[in-house]
Amino acid sequence: MKKEAIIIALLFLLLPTVVRGDILYMLGLAFIFVVYCVSWDIIAGYTGQTNLGHTVFIGIGAYTTALLNSTRIPHPNLPIFVTIIAGGFVAMLFGLFIGCVCLRLKEYYLALVTAILPLIFIQLTNIYSGIFGGYEGFSIPFSKALPGGVIGNYYISLIFCFSSIYLTYLLVNSRLGLKLKAIRDDEELAEAVGIDVVKYKLIAFCISAFFAGMAGALAVHYKLTVGVDYFGIPLMLEIILGVIAGGLGTLYGGAIGGFLIFTAKNWILIQISSYLSTILPFRVSDELILYAILIILVVRFPRGIIYELYTKLKLH
Amino acid sequence: MSFVEIVILGTVIGGVWALVASGFSLVFGVSRILNFAHGTYFALGAYFSLVFYTVFSTFLPPYLSLLISTFFAVILTGITGVLVYLLTVKPIRNYEVMVILVTLAVALFIKEILLMFFSDVSISIPPYISGCTYIFGIPITYSRVLALSIAIISIIALDVFTNKTKLGKEIIATSQDLEAAMLVGIDVEKIFVIVMFISSILAAIAGILYAQIYAVNPMTALRVLIYAFAIVILGGLGSVRGSILAAFIIGYMQVAVSTLLASEWAEIVAMVAIIVILIVRPKGLMGVE
Repeated sequence: MKKEAIIIALLFLLLPTVVRGDILYMLGLAFIFVVYCVSWDIIAGYTGQTNLGHTVFIGIGAYTTALLNSTRIPHPNLPIFVTIIAGGFVAMLFGLFIGCVCLRLKEYYLALVTAILPLIFIQLTNIYSGIFGGYEGFSIPFSKALPGGVIGNYYISLIFCFSSIYLTYLLVNSRLGLKLKAIRDDEELAEAVGIDVVKYKLIAFCISAFFAGMAGALAVHYKLTVGVDYFGIPLMLEIILGVIAGGLGTLYGGAIGGFLIFTAKNWILIQISSYLSTILPFRVSDELILYAILIILVVRFPRGIIYELYTKLKLH
Repeated sequence: MSFVEIVILGTVIGGVWALVASGFSLVFGVSRILNFAHGTYFALGAYFSLVFYTVFSTFLPPYLSLLISTFFAVILTGITGVLVYLLTVKPIRNYEVMVILVTLAVALFIKEILLMFFSDVSISIPPYISGCTYIFGIPITYSRVLALSIAIISIIALDVFTNKTKLGKEIIATSQDLEAAMLVGIDVEKIFVIVMFISSILAAIAGILYAQIYAVNPMTALRVLIYAFAIVILGGLGSVRGSILAAFIIGYMQVAVSTLLASEWAEIVAMVAIIVILIVRPKGLMGVE
């Protein structure tokens, strides 16, 4: 597994020499999206908590750094790498809070409550539109962009993505990771053998939120805008789709699935939708095709596409 | 706005929410499916009704075409609900997270289709009756009175159906114990389909009534879901009577918050209320295991 990861990393490092700027820009965003997926996998795949409000962490990280780099609130002048990490920490605080709220909730109730949380934040950004800029959000100044132009941005998000995956890899293969998996497999049994379930669930929420918040913050400096789409249900659905496509609780599954889903949506689906819109009398949005594919994939492969293909190959 | 007005308007909107939430709760109680597409049937009911109305009103008198279009819209939404269940939910019913994912995807898929054909504007349906009456000196349109009456009649009909008829008793038996119901010879697959049909019909009726009083747009499919969640969590997942009671509580709260603060706050207060209730009572007020 390690050898493959190094080869893939080398390929991505060399990519800017051959690939056009606009595709590099999209790939950089795909790396950030991969971190969304992997950080969701920590809580959903490894700890077994159906968290449908992961975009809350992404959005909080994004708005934290955006506000710290705008004139909307009074703040000290900080370098962007400090504000990005600040985004991660503020998201972690919310992770701790949401973790505390959701600790007592089981299965269906957890899913319902976490599904509602992003909607609260979307409404709040709209109500306090003087600070948060309403549904459209706001832009941050060009001087706050990541350094190095398109290629610099690409490398920054590449390094961020691979170091996040590596840290998560270390985490899930440590004793802590084993305890999280024990909680996922049987909460009562885990408690019986002396694992402090409450503590480790909270730790999982915090770690997941920290990575998601950092990724959201990085995306703001990548795109120079922030808006409610960071909190949005469509984004949540794409994250779940990415992880599910690769396989829950496998880490590499979420990373590969997330990368494929993002590039498919922002590269191939846009072309399909614009082609369909020219031959059909109405505009076909790329989301429409994405949701259709999602429904078909889930119904055909409820345990993850890569997982099912893998087990099929193993059997024969 | 006075207290009486809040009570009256809250009762009307509570009746509409009761229709939505009782169907959502019924489906969960019987088949343990969290149907995130439930709000979509609410919106679809209104949109189908508008489309049928525009078609029928070209050659029929408006009153008749309104009734016929309501009938067709409700039946068509019910069929859509059953088709969505059979095609997408049934094959993966044992994977809980996947059911949530696929129903959410269906909701967003249908929202995109509605956006494609109707664009991002709100629609309303002409009310069955016009004019207004005065209750304690407050003008209340007849359409609201009728909406509340229809909602109450539908809920009573649902209650009588589930408690008095043989089919209804089979539904209750399935919700109480799936395996025992199968052992005594109840075709639970058939029950699941019937329950899904009933729940979609109730959501469609609610959507049509709502679109006559207020307005519906493609985003309503998701916004209604917030209220449906708030209500079923308050009433307890799977408890139909708890949901009906909770629907009126949420209705009053919504109207009170909208008039005292602003309408944007209504959803936030509902959502925060849900979270607070769950911290105190993790199974809702009258929840089932």
